[in-house]
Amino acid sequence: MAEGTGRGERLSIWFFVGMLTLVYGAVLAPYGAWEWFGNHEAPTVLNNLHPTFWWGSLMLVFGLFYSIKFRPGKD
Amino acid sequence: MLPAAALILTTKMTTLAPVDILILVLYFVLVIFIGFYVKGSTNTSEEFFLAGREMSAWVAGLSFVSANLGSLELMGWAGAAYQYGILAMHWYWIGAIPAMLFLGIVMMPFYYISKTHSVPGYLQLRFGEGARGLAAGSFAFMTILMSGVNMYAMALVMKVVLGWNISFSIWVGAITVAIYVMLGGLRSAIINEVLQFVLIWAGAALIPILGLVEAGGWTNLKTQIAHNVGSNDYTHLWSTLGHFKDNPMGVHWTGIVFGLGFVVSFGYWTTDFLVVQRVLSANNLRAAKMAPVIGAAFKMAVPFIVIVPGLLALGITDPVTHQQVFHLVPGDVARATGQHAYDQVLPLMLIRYCGPGLLGLGITALVAGFMSGMAGNVSAFSTVWTYDIYGAFLNKKASDKHYVAMGRWSTVVGMLVSVGAAYLVTRSASIMDYVQQLFSFFIAPLFGTVVLGMLWKRATKAGGFWGLLAGTVSSLGMFMYTSYGGQKALARIALSVDARPMAETLYRALWSWLICVGVTVVVSYCTKPIPEAQLAGLVYGATPIPDDGARGLFQKPIFWAVVVITVFFVLNIIFF
Repeated sequence: MAEGTGRGERLSIWFFVGMLTLVYGAVLAPYGAWEWFGNHEAPTVLNNLHPTFWWGSLMLVFGLFYSIKFRPGKD
Repeated sequence: MLPAAALILTTKMTTLAPVDILILVLYFVLVIFIGFYVKGSTNTSEEFFLAGREMSAWVAGLSFVSANLGSLELMGWAGAAYQYGILAMHWYWIGAIPAMLFLGIVMMPFYYISKTHSVPGYLQLRFGEGARGLAAGSFAFMTILMSGVNMYAMALVMKVVLGWNISFSIWVGAITVAIYVMLGGLRSAIINEVLQFVLIWAGAALIPILGLVEAGGWTNLKTQIAHNVGSNDYTHLWSTLGHFKDNPMGVHWTGIVFGLGFVVSFGYWTTDFLVVQRVLSANNLRAAKMAPVIGAAFKMAVPFIVIVPGLLALGITDPVTHQQVFHLVPGDVARATGQHAYDQVLPLMLIRYCGPGLLGLGITALVAGFMSGMAGNVSAFSTVWTYDIYGAFLNKKASDKHYVAMGRWSTVVGMLVSVGAAYLVTRSASIMDYVQQLFSFFIAPLFGTVVLGMLWKRATKAGGFWGLLAGTVSSLGMFMYTSYGGQKALARIALSVDARPMAETLYRALWSWLICVGVTVVVSYCTKPIPEAQLAGLVYGATPIPDDGARGLFQKPIFWAVVVITVFFVLNIIFF
């Protein structure tokens, strides 16, 4: 049974968590890379640490892990 | 122009880039999809109102803590941290953790094995229709108003931060929430609460991380705060609570321990159906006991994304001028002068550290928090309306299918009433303060009634009803007295001439709880006891608690509760 979404459903609640973070990571990491390597950093405090790229990458890895671990039909 | 909106800043703080809008739109697409996806699994009343009672401890636990993690709370307490310092942390630690553990270990077995659908439903089983009617009516009224307040608060934040039209934000939020709750009931609300929990952390955790980097670590931050405010009082949890005038909040440790830590906290976390409903969706007794324990563990971490940003705004100084960067003022002053208010600290810090992309993520997290607040209130409203008002007093013998249809329609009607409440608040912003106070009138006495009902066999139906009524009326009376009686009245309620308004809520809760308990005890002894056979499954001592199925130490909820309470004590000592 897909946890949290009801009897007979295929997509679990954790898969939705994974997909949301995966998609956000897939948007943020390349955008952060474009900002960093294209010298388009926004004028925020500590932008020299490139938070968009690193945070986006972290979300991408987290989302990938959850999406694979709780993929439909795994059980 | 709407009057309340006209009073706030006329210039917006920032604008969203296309990548931010993409992130926001993706969230809306996902929540609508989830509503349609789970609709097929919400055909019976148990599925619609209690998510089929099939949630694991982790899902119920995250939803339980997330139901209290709305954006109104986040922004309000971040602002309180700026205003009062680390004392605001008490609302997340002593004001939550012991009560959450008590719910899981002591009270949950009774809620769960009584198979009640709601907290008013438990009151009906224990104290009869009078107590249920009183609790259900007040709860339905409060939740619908709170949903409207959330709606208005979201629209106001979007207006202040992004310059969006108030009506646009209200209607987009209301229609989205109405669709996904009407389709999926509590299941939709719970899934979105779990997503919101993840989003809040993803969107807000960077603020304290980057803020602490900028401040040069926690020790440096404390030094900077002491320099900026001219006192060490803002970074100690307990050492300044010996007297009302020794701390920025104007409270005493007795108010924090007994008023907040016992009555307000236990009242909210153990009897507010909005949060208890999440735990009732658990798939077995062990999961129902574990869910609040898991929720408590996560609750302890929340100050990192709420309180720390407020403290950072107090401590961060300009590297060139060495002056404090943020100068925030009370809401009424901000409306008059155009400065930033205390509760804008979170968006201000977000804008300071987050550029395009991350800004969209943070705004999406705030929007998700507001919408989750609306969904939580409206789903709890629809349950209490359908089971405890419509099904109990208006139409007792309808089919299950009819009640599900009523649940869906009451969601839509509830949302429309909430929209009306939101527009009412736009006419007078002070209504929002009164609505938030409403909870404190009912919660403390309700806790007295429920806890006596669960732990004291001698409590009678008349005792429960009159105790609840006396506690509620006395709380309302004390509120009116302090509202119109000024500092003199406050000093009488809080027992000190140095008490400030924050102390009023804590001591009012304490007195109203004591009045409720006192009246319940006296009336119970004056009335005929309920035969013990009728109390089975409802009261401690008359109910054999079934085995929760835990095998081994690590499966036992009590073991994890001890771990959580130990960490709680250690944290309080570290920040003493």
